[in-house]
Amino acid sequence: MLPLHSYAANWTAVKWLLWIGLYLILGFLAPWLMTRAWAHHHRSDLRPGFRQLFQNGELGLIGLILAISVIWDLQRSQYTPFTVALGSVFLTVTAIMAGQIWIESYCRRSTNSDFQPERGWRDSRTMLLLVASQALVIEMLLDRFAKVTAQ
Amino acid sequence: MSASAPALARQPRRTVGLRLRDPAVALTFLSLIFALLLALFPTSFPRFVVEAWQNGRAIPVMILFTVAVNLGIYIRVAQRRSARPGMLAPALLGAVPAFVVAGLKFWLQAAIAHTLSGDVPNVLARVNEEILTQLYFAFIGAVFVPFVLIIFAQQFRDRHS
Repeated sequence: MLPLHSYAANWTAVKWLLWIGLYLILGFLAPWLMTRAWAHHHRSDLRPGFRQLFQNGELGLIGLILAISVIWDLQRSQYTPFTVALGSVFLTVTAIMAGQIWIESYCRRSTNSDFQPERGWRDSRTMLLLVASQALVIEMLLDRFAKVTAQ
Repeated sequence: MSASAPALARQPRRTVGLRLRDPAVALTFLSLIFALLLALFPTSFPRFVVEAWQNGRAIPVMILFTVAVNLGIYIRVAQRRSARPGMLAPALLGAVPAFVVAGLKFWLQAAIAHTLSGDVPNVLARVNEEILTQLYFAFIGAVFVPFVLIIFAQQFRDRHS
């Protein structure tokens, strides 16, 4: 049987995976389940897929929110100001680009100027995956650095 | 020449129009590979990266790799959209990563000097982590920044043409 501190170490090693999973569940899965619940409650035939639900580029907004939390974690870390600034700038640029998909979809839809739901969904999904992958790496690096500073 | 000949004449192909999602897919894969290497080889992979930096091999290898990735993305997009590769975009994709990585080299040296000058415990391990983290950021920047510049230049050109 493994000692308790070994379980604790394993928990620390996978916590960034659970952290990013929380974002995906609450930001991606929960809205979809809520539409199902709404349809069931109102006896509606509404059955939107992920593609329809996020066709206006809302995933870009989720990417923006995800990036904000990682920038906050970077700011609180004990990295040098050089590293914190660099990481924050790159994440901010990526997050703005992700948010821009949502804004562009909104503007195109509002002005009836070449709005393509398929493109909004595809681009925002790609940008969310980019932000999530960067967030994953940065959280892993933050986790490593926290262990080094704690020694 | 018959009347339908001009219509049948080959239309000049337009130059490649880049979009943000073009580098985003490749960057996502590269970030996930970095995360996987970090998770599977938590000691040897960071040591390999730090030793490459200390031997002076990290910067030229990173420049070559990012230029190859950028040009690969560009050629793939041109093929997929059946568009003609331009002159300015490949030049930017080749030059900007070199400037970004070289500039960030001085930024990393400043961070290392800052860490060494402070009275902090476990200073060498901290320096190694700073090197690993900043090289990852440099890698992301060297792929992403040229595409962002090209997309802005395209929007500027479209507005003023």
